[in-house]
Amino acid sequence: MFSFWGKGLLKGLSVTGKVIFRKNLTEEYPLVKPNIPSQWRGGFAYEKDKCIACGICVLECPNDAILLVKEKDENNKNVPKEYKINLGYCLSCGLCVESCPVNCIHFTKEFESATYLKKESVLDLFNNQNLEAERSTYGKPVEKKEEKEEGIL
Amino acid sequence: MRTQTYKINLGPQHPSTHGVLHVVLEIDGETIVGSETNIGYLHRGIEKLAENKKYPQVIPYTDRLDYLAGMSNNLLYVQTVEKMLGTEVPERASYIRVIIAELMRIANHMVGIGIYIMDLGAVTGVFYPFIQREHILDLFSKLCGSRMTFNYMRIGGVAVDIDEDFIRGTEIFLDQLPKMLHEYHTLVDENEIFLSRTKNIGKISKSQAESFGLTGPNLRASGLGYDLRKVAPYEVYDRFDFNIPVAYNGDCFDRYIVRMQEVEESIKIIRQAMAQLPQGEIKAKLPRIIKPEAGDCYHQAENPKGILGCYLVSDGTPKPYRVHFRRPSFNNISIFDEVAIGHKIADFIAIMASFDFVLGEVDA
Repeated sequence: MFSFWGKGLLKGLSVTGKVIFRKNLTEEYPLVKPNIPSQWRGGFAYEKDKCIACGICVLECPNDAILLVKEKDENNKNVPKEYKINLGYCLSCGLCVESCPVNCIHFTKEFESATYLKKESVLDLFNNQNLEAERSTYGKPVEKKEEKEEGIL
Repeated sequence: MRTQTYKINLGPQHPSTHGVLHVVLEIDGETIVGSETNIGYLHRGIEKLAENKKYPQVIPYTDRLDYLAGMSNNLLYVQTVEKMLGTEVPERASYIRVIIAELMRIANHMVGIGIYIMDLGAVTGVFYPFIQREHILDLFSKLCGSRMTFNYMRIGGVAVDIDEDFIRGTEIFLDQLPKMLHEYHTLVDENEIFLSRTKNIGKISKSQAESFGLTGPNLRASGLGYDLRKVAPYEVYDRFDFNIPVAYNGDCFDRYIVRMQEVEESIKIIRQAMAQLPQGEIKAKLPRIIKPEAGDCYHQAENPKGILGCYLVSDGTPKPYRVHFRRPSFNNISIFDEVAIGHKIADFIAIMASFDFVLGEVDA
């Protein structure tokens, strides 16, 4: 085999030449939304009726991003009065969601969390529970298939 | 004719510095006669921050050290805490950790190789490995919900069990990866421009590499096959059959070729680990509040970029008294000032890129 300067270059070009005819991998993002996996850690949803205001999420948060104000209701039980998550501090680590004993805080599949003003990055989850957003399964117990025993009665 | 040397700043906002590295080069015409590396532009004080966090709360911060290999940093930190507590990790969790860490190694080397080629001027070369890295990040985001800052490892195990989808996805990925590696070798290895810019450029001898404390692929390219996965196996690495790729020339080309070969070895390890994957628990039972006894502990592991070490001091409270990370990139770039001398400015870019360092890790 004879060799000349530029042989390797041509060999490399042959690879790029083949790749041109492959399928496109890029997504046209604002027009086509990406497929978000089910465990996604993005936005938050909060069920204030379920919350027992125990404050474990506040303790678990590494960055003090969660503000919880609690009060006593008529049965002398703790209930939340205010619940805010500052996304500017949030690391999306998921420790709050994992630690919640009553599963009242959830991740959602939202991912476009940029805001125009700084104050908009604080989520007031008590007044806007964000329940309609599609929820992620992160940190939630695996739902076991219900095995009903039939035929006993 | 009377000439004089002059100084120029390379960085901290130079696009080829992989972040914010600042190098003051003393130039005689085009040749470097002196060099001074300044760091600290990305210092976030992670070690100090960790002193105010409880042990599990430090894990998300370790993602931000070497942000191209978050899983490996997670792994090292939790291993150190486990060593301190004397916890036995369930076997399944150990296997999962090995699979994840090796996938992370592939993803990291894909960036390392791709960016290297791009810094040499071949922008096309960056996309082939990045497609592969994207597959891995997709797998990880399906597994733990995040693409870069995983927070996946837990003290005593892992956060989420891997499922059938993950295993199938990994198998599909591993099946097509060798094809891509072959394609990439064809694209790059014989390219005359690439060869003339990398062969015999930035040569580091074995003794030099040792004395500067280089680790990882940069050390192994200089002829010393030192890899903690073989020398002091952690997790279940001793159960797998794999080689440590070594090159002997110590130049930029060798650092590239060692990374490419390491990817192939990683494929072997993942395949073996998936074949042996046992059933069982993924997390050891630990008290809710983790309180190691007063004392200190050092642990190190082979990260994609070199040996990452963690030194932990506990005073018996739920928060660490002191956390220190031995970051491989920091040690690796310490040789720049020595190796740059005598090279041209353009070669210095090639040398820098071949080291595959991350400033998040250098400054911590």
